Amino acid sequence: MKQTLKRIISLMMVCLMVLSIAACGNSVPAQPGQSDAPESSTPSASNSSTPAPAQNVQLVLWSIATESDAFHNAYNQAIADFEKANPGVKIVHETFENESYKTKIKSAVAANELPDLFFTWGGGFSQSFVESGKVLAIDKYYTEEYQAQLSRAALVNATYDGKLYGATYTTPVSALFYNRKMFDQYNLKAPTTFEELVNVCQTFINNGITPIGVSVKDTWVLAMTHDALTLKSAGPEKTKKAITRGGQSYNDPDFLASATKLKQLIDMGAYVEGATGLSNDEASQYFYNGTVPMYITGSWMAGSIMTDCEHPEDYDVAPIPVINGNNAKITDFMGGAADTIMVAASTKNPDVAGKAVFELTRSISKYAYLDGAGVPAWEVDYDDSAVNPITAKLAQYATGATSFTLWFDTLMNANDAGEYLALLQQLYIGSITPQEFVEAMAEQLGS
Amino acid sequence: MEKARSNVVAICLFMLPAAVLFTVIIIVPVIMSTYYSLLNWDGITKGTFVGLENFVQLFKSKTAGFPKTLLNVSVLAGLSIVIQLPLALFLALVLGKGIKGEVFFLSVFFIPVLLSTTVIGQLWSKIYNPDYGILNVALRALGLDHMTKVWLGDQKTALLAVFIPILWQYVGYHMLIMYAGIKSISPELREAARIDGATEGQLARYVTIPLLKPVLRTSIIFSVTGSLKAFDLIYILTNGGPAHASEVPSTLMVSMIFNRNRYGFGSAIAVMIIFLCFLMAILLRKLIRTEEVV
Amino acid sequence: MKKIKKSPANILLYGFLALWTAIQIFPLYWMLTFSLKDNNEIFGANVIGLPHVWRWENYTSVLTRGKVGTYFLNSVLVTGATIALTSIIALMATYALTRMIWKGRKLANNVVMLGLTVPIHTAILPIFIILRSLKMTNSYQALIIPYTAFGLAMAIMICSSLMEGIPRELEEAAFIDGCSIYGIFGSIILPLMRPAIATISIFTYLTAWNELMFATIFISDSNYRTLTVGIQTLSGSYTTDWGPIGAALVVATFPTLIIYAFMSNKIQESLVIGAVKG
Repeated sequence: MKQTLKRIISLMMVCLMVLSIAACGNSVPAQPGQSDAPESSTPSASNSSTPAPAQNVQLVLWSIATESDAFHNAYNQAIADFEKANPGVKIVHETFENESYKTKIKSAVAANELPDLFFTWGGGFSQSFVESGKVLAIDKYYTEEYQAQLSRAALVNATYDGKLYGATYTTPVSALFYNRKMFDQYNLKAPTTFEELVNVCQTFINNGITPIGVSVKDTWVLAMTHDALTLKSAGPEKTKKAITRGGQSYNDPDFLASATKLKQLIDMGAYVEGATGLSNDEASQYFYNGTVPMYITGSWMAGSIMTDCEHPEDYDVAPIPVINGNNAKITDFMGGAADTIMVAASTKNPDVAGKAVFELTRSISKYAYLDGAGVPAWEVDYDDSAVNPITAKLAQYATGATSFTLWFDTLMNANDAGEYLALLQQLYIGSITPQEFVEAMAEQLGS
Repeated sequence: MEKARSNVVAICLFMLPAAVLFTVIIIVPVIMSTYYSLLNWDGITKGTFVGLENFVQLFKSKTAGFPKTLLNVSVLAGLSIVIQLPLALFLALVLGKGIKGEVFFLSVFFIPVLLSTTVIGQLWSKIYNPDYGILNVALRALGLDHMTKVWLGDQKTALLAVFIPILWQYVGYHMLIMYAGIKSISPELREAARIDGATEGQLARYVTIPLLKPVLRTSIIFSVTGSLKAFDLIYILTNGGPAHASEVPSTLMVSMIFNRNRYGFGSAIAVMIIFLCFLMAILLRKLIRTEEVV
Repeated sequence: MKKIKKSPANILLYGFLALWTAIQIFPLYWMLTFSLKDNNEIFGANVIGLPHVWRWENYTSVLTRGKVGTYFLNSVLVTGATIALTSIIALMATYALTRMIWKGRKLANNVVMLGLTVPIHTAILPIFIILRSLKMTNSYQALIIPYTAFGLAMAIMICSSLMEGIPRELEEAAFIDGCSIYGIFGSIILPLMRPAIATISIFTYLTAWNELMFATIFISDSNYRTLTVGIQTLSGSYTTDWGPIGAALVVATFPTLIIYAFMSNKIQESLVIGAVKG
């Protein structure tokens, strides 16, 4: 009995083993036939269950408009509109989380696995994508109709070497968000100069209130403030020249001024305690729940105020104050169209994809604005009276802007941006002085 | 038997699947990474061959701060050998001798290992939050206001603050490996020692631990190589900050490769990590020679 | 099992165990309550207490989302296949590495160590390129194969340390009885390695079930997406509702707890069998 049992077990084990080897040996050569379909972005194996009309075209679109993202609804409506207007075209929309998407898109470019249409950020972020030849130039699809509604100026961040590589749907700007109720309580008005900002902060501090929320752990939040202060100190041309290695040294009184002003705010205690350890989620919660009265960030905060605050009507927005009136105006803004949709050079349907980029971005621009999710990049030729007042105000800022300067960490090349954020952290915690900061920046940008 | 033990066909059959997988997924990528580490390359456009320049920069560049990251992981590896593993061994010994509630404790002590890093990361950021964090609230309640700190945001405390969760999370992991080892030691041996009048302490000291040596060695190798590669929780809690205070080689590598587009330089860090891990694993194996247990 | 003596040492011991139990259970409690709160409570208003309002809608909002069911099944499939492959391949390799006699065995043992050393982030691009050249992206294999390969090193080491403890005489005896080398592996070694299989399964399960990087990069088609990646997409670009994420994490952790409860019993059970026989 025991003997037979043993035999059976060992027989089973041998079978198992042989199977496993076979399974493993199979898995390599058996693949090509099996996964041809998903590789070529046209009818993927998974979609064969849903019969589509004949001569159909399928485009795959990647974006970060996840189900929880403010733009999700706008994307869906835009896709539905496009599919309706173009029978036979189907858009498969795959969404990914923002941070991991940055890794994903870079890997996809490197491994040549791009979908037909993909979301990316203009400026320095996509420069290497374009240089590698994996992105399609779409000038010939940028018809007069589109040009009338979306100016070339708005597409400057998607233009490389004079050619257009993508279209945008939103023009976010940095602004000072504030809690008007708390301001009223101390008879304060939104500051228009740096001195007024300091006074506002001092008043709150005197009353035991920390004035500004910020995250230094997510350093881009701190950078929003420093970028804006720099712009308002040095002006748009000089700033852009300096940070894009355009022949302007960063070691300059105007850049020292903005670093010094930031340091002044830090030293007077304007920022929340422990900002170095707080994420943006944690820090902005202080603003939403009325602990701190101010937060400097991008216009996307308007949408969150509507959903996350108990009394959204208490909140308001203002442009970032001016530091040096000789160089910068109140209407100079940090921001601009960075969110871009591009077409892969490898797409099998360049004509449909090229048209889709403009159609989709136009619709997303509209629906996202109506949702209060973002400031529209395309012309507003529809009724927008229902848009929430803060987003509407931001849209006015964007329309009346005398200049846009893209956020430093998007505009700079990736390595400079990384160093910039690291230095900013050091400036915040005081391990380097403003003077050392501008010197280190000058060295980085001069190398 | 000797002949059967050197049956070439059998050896090939046994080794084949592992060898194929290892070659394709581990060895080839290691070779590719080594090649990338000799390039000045952004990961996308064409790279230029720069020889060992990236490795020179690793130790010369002050802004990258690679030597400091090595120091930081050495602290982590040291702490895990001095604090984490002894605690795990103690728990394994206590549970392994068959106390009441053995299964219950075994299961509960393993729970932190089962939870995803997202959960653990969120939890500890709530513990360390300077304002409403459990740690500072507790300190204030005890009247120790002067001891409250911005744990993750202070250069002096950030390193230790990110290491504690890492050490804590994996106590249960090592405990389980050791526990399985203890249980596979023949009970007769332990019974015999007990009959000879050995106390629990002596039993552990002279019987269990010596027999557990191969398992302990495995645990030490896992914890040292794991420390050298530590990434997830640090990334969530501080991402190496503030100002590189809690930077480790992996966080530096990821920021170089994926944030700063310095794929070549990041690959050089990777090669260093692989080399150090490998060196430590081999060294530890040599250092802790185990006698054949018969 | 011995009766507990009420000695001070024992009281101290149980005191310590109870304290440690509380520490280890706390994350579970915290996760459960966190899944029923909103951002305001999670970020400051009520960090460790029970929810002021029990927001079960966090769960409905997660469970009714498009493809959660698919993601879950994908995770089960990928993880299951990874565990099975890793265990079988590791056991086979370990036997050849520890018990058989061949040239290059030492070298092979060292190469196995290499698997412990490779940081997952550097391997992404090379593996992605390899998978692409094998036309394997966007498939279950795209995850199963890398997970198995990365799990092998640890699995082989766990097996080795246990296999070293099996007396060679057992094999010799079977050999004299006329057992082939495959027979010995199947009937002598495998049954004795059951505790190792349980241990490997748990560890392999954890890495495969929770893995994020490979799953994000190698899979683009949401029909093959795993649960962790699905949960990750619950966060928006600039604002994140953490309550539903908590709920999703509970949903993802639940099977883990059940499987673990089941496995830890198995470890016990197989050890008892081993003890009776041995």
